[in-house]
Amino acid sequence: MAEVQEGGFRAFHPSWEDPSCARNLAVWVCGVDDLRLLPYTVVPQLGMNDVRVKIKAVGICGSDVHYVKKLRNSRVAMKEPMVLGHESSGVICEVGASVTHLRVGDRVALEAGIPCNSCVLCKEGRYNLCKNVRFFGSPPTNGSLTQEVVHPASLCYKLPDNLTFEEGAMCEPLSVGVHACRRAKVEPGRRVLILGAGPIGLIVLLVSRAFGATTVHVTDIDQRRLMAAASLGAEGTLRVSSDMNDMENEVMELKQLIGVPIDVTFDCVGITKTMQTALKVTKSGGKVCLVGMGQDNLTLPLTSSAAREVDVLGIFRYCNTYPLCLDLLQSRKVDVRPLITHRYRLTEDDMKEAFQTTAMAGDAIKVMFTI
Amino acid sequence: MGKGSAQGESSLGTCQSQNLAAWLMEANKLEIRPFELPALGPKDVKIRMKAVGICGSDVHYYKHMRLADFIVKEPMVIGHECAGVVEEIGNEVTHLAVGDNVALEPGVSCAHCSHCKEGRYNLCDEMKFFATPPIHGSLANFVVHPASLCFKLPENVSLEEGAMCEPLSVGVHACRRAGAGPHTKVLVMGSGPIGLVTLMAAKAFGSPRVVVVDVDENRLKMAQELGAHEVVCVSTRIEDVEKEVLEIQQKMAADVDITFDCAGLEKTMRTALKATRSGGEVCLVGMGHVEMKVPLTAAAAREVDILGVFRYRNTYQLCIDMISSGRINVKPLITHRFGFSQEDVVKAFNVSAMGGSAIKVMFNI
Repeated sequence: MAEVQEGGFRAFHPSWEDPSCARNLAVWVCGVDDLRLLPYTVVPQLGMNDVRVKIKAVGICGSDVHYVKKLRNSRVAMKEPMVLGHESSGVICEVGASVTHLRVGDRVALEAGIPCNSCVLCKEGRYNLCKNVRFFGSPPTNGSLTQEVVHPASLCYKLPDNLTFEEGAMCEPLSVGVHACRRAKVEPGRRVLILGAGPIGLIVLLVSRAFGATTVHVTDIDQRRLMAAASLGAEGTLRVSSDMNDMENEVMELKQLIGVPIDVTFDCVGITKTMQTALKVTKSGGKVCLVGMGQDNLTLPLTSSAAREVDVLGIFRYCNTYPLCLDLLQSRKVDVRPLITHRYRLTEDDMKEAFQTTAMAGDAIKVMFTI
Repeated sequence: MGKGSAQGESSLGTCQSQNLAAWLMEANKLEIRPFELPALGPKDVKIRMKAVGICGSDVHYYKHMRLADFIVKEPMVIGHECAGVVEEIGNEVTHLAVGDNVALEPGVSCAHCSHCKEGRYNLCDEMKFFATPPIHGSLANFVVHPASLCFKLPENVSLEEGAMCEPLSVGVHACRRAGAGPHTKVLVMGSGPIGLVTLMAAKAFGSPRVVVVDVDENRLKMAQELGAHEVVCVSTRIEDVEKEVLEIQQKMAADVDITFDCAGLEKTMRTALKATRSGGEVCLVGMGHVEMKVPLTAAAAREVDILGVFRYRNTYQLCIDMISSGRINVKPLITHRFGFSQEDVVKAFNVSAMGGSAIKVMFNI
């Protein structure tokens, strides 16, 4: 049963032989392109501050696909099979002894990362940067693409009555947009440019508008995605190429299209060409926010943008965003429902198709599992 | 009348009928020649120049006739770090009087673009800055300048210290942008004139611990004399980055909150991005290599932000106040002094260009 693969990856997990949890299934990545629906043991004893949640909706994202293909991301590698998924919501079915703000039956969105709460970064409120954070679906922490999880109650947020489980699950990617717009200080008066109209770019578009940006323009190489951006409120769009030689022209075209200096550019792709474009096209004193993770080793000349006081801000996940996400969704300042393009159930066939659809991108924006 | 050129190579100081300046004629060729001043506007002052420092950018123009996108297309007066005595005031000038000692902030911005109106006038596209082509500099007997950019020096601040407000402003502006304060532990890469003013500014802003690194032991000694808590001698080899980051972190004995890269090289930026804590700031102050490439991914994934710095804004009064109160002492930075003669000007630039033990070379006119 124990297959030891190269790099010390042992393709076995004790859960699979645990008779007590045969009823709790999860989507495991067991090797490259090796997805299996198998049992997943969840702790039987609930901690005093934890809740047990029956998962109802889980979205998947590019990073989940990345683990399926590579068994690692740029920082950390899987050493054993792992449950995928981190964008989730569900119903509380049990509460720990000290939990007061949640009850059995409450519908909640789950914030994916459990920080240590005692390091300097946590205490300063930047817990997304905690070195010891345990994040769903980031090795070695199993994810939430399963039927049941146990999670700290403080990281479960009650869904308003008018929001669906899917919208609850969408709080996770939406949080990335909220965190980015906060860090870049998007506010009324700002002219925003978004490079890349994938799920993250579109979310940043929705949040920028909700934060009052005067105009938001979007670029992408794919016309369909630009149409989605336009339908979601982009002031204007520009189709760009993936050829570095076109960059100078595209910078000029963008400046003409937008017509006024660009305060903030969000690179929601994260490759050399998009970052170079961002650094050139943003006004002096503006900000470039690197959200996308397209390339592992982005290396760029910074001198000429730094000499115009164009700052480069990094984004890593999010912190303190869930309450605001729920407010934005409930009040319909942001509507994420159009972003959910494909839905699947927790079956062998659906599981494989769901990941293929996500990997292929194209007209898929957010792929959602209904559990 | 003043001692004039008829007497050969002696000091070309107080010649009232003819204004002389140091002109950059072509690469490596500086000549003292007449410099015609514009008419005095109602809001201008005419300044008798007394102290002018040389900056790395002046030296760069001297050697290369260009810096980034700024090209010296025709002869240009050099120099921009200056202080002098008010000689004449325009008829709408009220805050200055003839005889006042003043430090001159070099850059005249347009005042009506959005950068200016938002207070970020250093980014003005129409900026006219001493000795950035095509604007003439201030290494001259006299200049005419807007009175609003001339800052009166108190009794206890010398004209040389007034001239030092210019490079000091770069350090002050960087510290402000990066949020240096009692809560920030600071790393300074590069112990040249800019690294040293940044060190001093960081301490003046309250930073409890400043570590300075450089490849030159002598420059590190100067950093220690100026108050660096620790210094690290580093190499020019990019392979040494990991090892040096560890050394720096050990010497800091705490997380690095802000790193000022005052050298602006690939190696120093790599070191800065690795050494700075998650959520910290790296401030790029130096302009080492225009095409210097920086690895962004790992730093962005730790939310280490990269701030750019271009000159300074709203720093002169603060610099003067900090010098006057003794919070900052810029005098040790002035290592070499020259007079205003053809021979001295050439010597001074060569000394400044050599770096090493020369930190700030100052002309006394």
